[in-house]
Amino acid sequence: MSLLELEAVRVVLGGRRILDGIDLAVEEGERVVVLGPSGSGKTTVLRLLAGLAVPAAGRVLVGGRPAAADGRLLIPPEERQVGMVFQDLALWPHLTVAGNLELGLRARGVPRTVRRQRVAEMLELVELGDRARARPGELSGGEQQRVALARALVLRPRALLLDEPLSSLDPPLARRLVGVILRLQERLGLTLVHVTHDREEARALATRTLFLERGRLSG
Amino acid sequence: MALRRIVLSLAVVLLLVAGVLPVAVMAGRSLVVDGRLGLAAYHGLLASSRQWELLGNSLRLAGLVTVAAVALGVPAGLLLGRTDLPGRRALGTLLALPLLLPPSVTAVAWMGAAAPSGPVVRLLGAGASAVLSSFLFGLPGTVLVLATAFAPLVMLLVAAALRSVPPRMEEAGLLVARWPAVLLRVTLPLVAPGVLLAAALVFLMALGEVSVPPTLRYPVFAVESLTRFAAFYDLAAATAAAMPLVALTAAVLGAEALLVRRTRGTTGMESRGAGRALVVPLGRWRRPAAVAAWSLAGLLVGLPLAVLLVRAGGAASYAEALGRAGDALGRSLLLAALGGALLAVVGFLLAVLAWERHGRLWAVPDAVALFLFAVPAAVLGVGLIVTWNRPWANVVYATPLILLLGYLGHFTAVSLRLSRASLELVPAGLVEAARVAGVGWGRRLLWVVAPGAWRGIAAAGLAGAAFCLRDVGMTLLVHPPGWDTLPVRIMTLAANGAPSLIAALSVILVAATLVPVVLLGAVLGRREVLP
Amino acid sequence: MRRCLAAILGLGVLLLPACTRRATRPGAGTGEVVAYVSEDQVFSQPVLERFERETGIRVRAVYDTEETKSTGVMNRLLAEKDNPQADLYWANEPIRAEVLRQRGVAEPYRSPAAEGLPETFRDPEWHWTGFSARLRVLVVHTPLKGEPPASVMDLADPRWRGRVVLANPLFGTTTSHVAALFVALGDEGARSFLERLKANGVVLSTSNGESADQVAAGQATLSLVDSDDAINRIRRGDALQMIVPDQAPGGLGCFVVPNAVVLVRGGPHPEAARRLADFLLSPQTERQLAEADCAQIPLHAGVPVPPDVPSLATLSVMEVSWAEVAAKMMAIQPELQAWVGS
Repeated sequence: MSLLELEAVRVVLGGRRILDGIDLAVEEGERVVVLGPSGSGKTTVLRLLAGLAVPAAGRVLVGGRPAAADGRLLIPPEERQVGMVFQDLALWPHLTVAGNLELGLRARGVPRTVRRQRVAEMLELVELGDRARARPGELSGGEQQRVALARALVLRPRALLLDEPLSSLDPPLARRLVGVILRLQERLGLTLVHVTHDREEARALATRTLFLERGRLSG
Repeated sequence: MALRRIVLSLAVVLLLVAGVLPVAVMAGRSLVVDGRLGLAAYHGLLASSRQWELLGNSLRLAGLVTVAAVALGVPAGLLLGRTDLPGRRALGTLLALPLLLPPSVTAVAWMGAAAPSGPVVRLLGAGASAVLSSFLFGLPGTVLVLATAFAPLVMLLVAAALRSVPPRMEEAGLLVARWPAVLLRVTLPLVAPGVLLAAALVFLMALGEVSVPPTLRYPVFAVESLTRFAAFYDLAAATAAAMPLVALTAAVLGAEALLVRRTRGTTGMESRGAGRALVVPLGRWRRPAAVAAWSLAGLLVGLPLAVLLVRAGGAASYAEALGRAGDALGRSLLLAALGGALLAVVGFLLAVLAWERHGRLWAVPDAVALFLFAVPAAVLGVGLIVTWNRPWANVVYATPLILLLGYLGHFTAVSLRLSRASLELVPAGLVEAARVAGVGWGRRLLWVVAPGAWRGIAAAGLAGAAFCLRDVGMTLLVHPPGWDTLPVRIMTLAANGAPSLIAALSVILVAATLVPVVLLGAVLGRREVLP
Repeated sequence: MRRCLAAILGLGVLLLPACTRRATRPGAGTGEVVAYVSEDQVFSQPVLERFERETGIRVRAVYDTEETKSTGVMNRLLAEKDNPQADLYWANEPIRAEVLRQRGVAEPYRSPAAEGLPETFRDPEWHWTGFSARLRVLVVHTPLKGEPPASVMDLADPRWRGRVVLANPLFGTTTSHVAALFVALGDEGARSFLERLKANGVVLSTSNGESADQVAAGQATLSLVDSDDAINRIRRGDALQMIVPDQAPGGLGCFVVPNAVVLVRGGPHPEAARRLADFLLSPQTERQLAEADCAQIPLHAGVPVPPDVPSLATLSVMEVSWAEVAAKMMAIQPELQAWVGS
């Protein structure tokens, strides 16, 4: 049984077929990179897996259970055990770094002391233990990336979805972040789905690379 | 560059002349009594315990109205701006209507509902009149009328703020929590500055409101001090009585600005025009929410309007109303059209100034305009009289120009803010490309910026027109002989006029107000109805 | 869009001077007259429209609202003393006209139409001339149990404790009436009356009309209002009865409040202003105001009136020196403020 699956998925946006009947199966522990030019629908693939988008036709399965089918959402995003880092990060500006991480734990009713502890641990893992009380606007670009990563991981998801996480970073910073991602993936036993238009980025991270072009996916 | 400087300076100067000058001249005049500089006019102000009591009444009223307006307006804004509530567009228009009417008209409508001869009492039995009257006359009724009148402002500002929230922020929340939690912990904090601004404006508008409290017999500071000092026929004392309101306005807006700066921190939401807004599916709550929202709107807006319609009666009343006030209606529409156009142009130019962020003072006109919007209309009106009532200035004072100046001073904030919101949607790259191609500033504005932001500019003009149409406080004081508007005519005819006549006039005013509102809906097209 | 806006603005700029020119050229012939009006618009507008029809002179008017009766156009006239915009002021009571005289805003004018108007209702030097009058009357809620009140003094009668409503005496005809009582009863007498009134739990309303409404609705039993407030509600079928007070022989007499015409010194259209003044002071205008719902009492002899309008000939009227009352009104303002405020 695959952890994440797309079956004959079709997505239409504004009359245009973004994805035209694609199949994808991501196995536990894999690092899949979807490579494609801008506007090819890469982000949509991640949004389907996260539950932020619903296919017009076809099915999305999470852990073998149907999560969305033919225009209907069956498992909402917060129940899919999937973390995601957006291309523009989307850190909440009104919350501190710790607050950004805590929100999901709070929504799940995790007690305060446990929450504190897990946030602290997570921030240590991304080497931001001393920035817990800063606001996102006070951080550098690399730090913001790591906060976004930590926020996606603090709920201990089974899969992590990354939308061009390195595209806005300098090469040295990007290399460092790749190191962080790989270390976390190994340590937490994560499954990775990563989309990018950058072959270097794909090579650095992937155990398997797929190509998305004109709404079709190919190995 | 020279053109840019001249045009933008002109817009700033217009705002200063229209709004700041009258307030400044008035402040200056209040310090001169019998040709001597001093605080004599301020003696007696807040001297008696009665005045402190009135100030307490005013603050209590403004506080309660603010709480009620926020409690109504924020959920309404969320429902209209974020959910799939059925009929939300029509609901938005209905709920927004009281903001665009003089609050006194809403008060008259409610008084009709409580009147012994009114339709509601006939429906509920004679005992209802006393109960309704005892509720309506006094603090509860005044809060009810003012909260219905001002809640739409909160609703509209929340709906507008919701549009500027990048959808990604909420999606990031949806990955870890359900909608209610996301709304509470992500969406609402992000629109908090909008809510805070709305609350500050509502507080100040309630504080300076001088038509509803006397009608509903709740004694407040603004009414009693202005009229009581005026009973001495003493302009210096009257202007001095207005000064506490001016000072309070500046203080509240200053506090609001500080608070927003502090809560927002350094990071803004940089992504401009960040895609389509999310819609919260109400699911099984869709029907109950719709029933609740429509019932509330029906009670708060539909009922008074229905009472007006019933009280107005048949064609004869409307014929009399048009005979009595047809000319005033025509003038109202003309002045609203001119005022709206003027506001659209000046608001757009000041918005451009803020948008380009050149120089150090780009934010000043916005703050000044907001201050002038919050200053009570009657205060601005007295200021205009003090400033322009001179033989050499009769070309302004004795003509409708004084009304247009007043509208410009009072309502520029509305058009400025709406224009600015639409400018944010014009990609900076477009303008830069035109600049690189050698297109001058004026042409860039005409060819690139204005076409990109035209919906916002048109909305600014129409909203401005609606506010001009609605104004009573200032128009009543400064209109030149023979230039009274329909809302003013309603006020003057209300003295011993038959209830059916007043109701028919109010219905006509509501219909006239719907003109800019419907146009606004058409301009904004398939996007949400209201700015 | 911008072109459209520019067109609208352009049109406005073209239109406005058209209005401007007319307004800024003083004495531009007899084509128009500017009137400031404190008499209710519902009643005064038809009179001014008849004037327009009969003379072809356009009237540009500024009317008062109920709430601003004593603060609106009156203050405007004073504020515009050095830059007069109005030609004529139609006051709904003579005290304000008298104040204008004292402040030098009034221009004396002896109208031929004033022939036959009683001398008691005008300024001896013709700065203002009274016409169509109202009475200050008591109204009681009907049906009334027991003996009806007969005097203004009965407002302080403990029999009506907590059941009396009175318009705020800082404004309108109530101010004049109180000032007249100070003159008639002496300061001490009037003060004692006010104190007893307060002790009687009097409720203040914003206007005489509102007082009458409260009595009609039974929220109060007794009030002191203008006769027009009473008569037009009785004609509407409201539950109240009008009593002309103090008619006993040797009594105070009832307080009569005429309208008053004042010409504004330095007004832009003096010729048209005099014609309007003549028109307002004519028996025809008095008849029109008697027949309208304001039911005002003509001061010319022999003007026919509807049956429910009282006639001055049969009434005992309070003797009043208007200059004295006006001076008293200004003098007692602080006292009245304190009385209202306490």
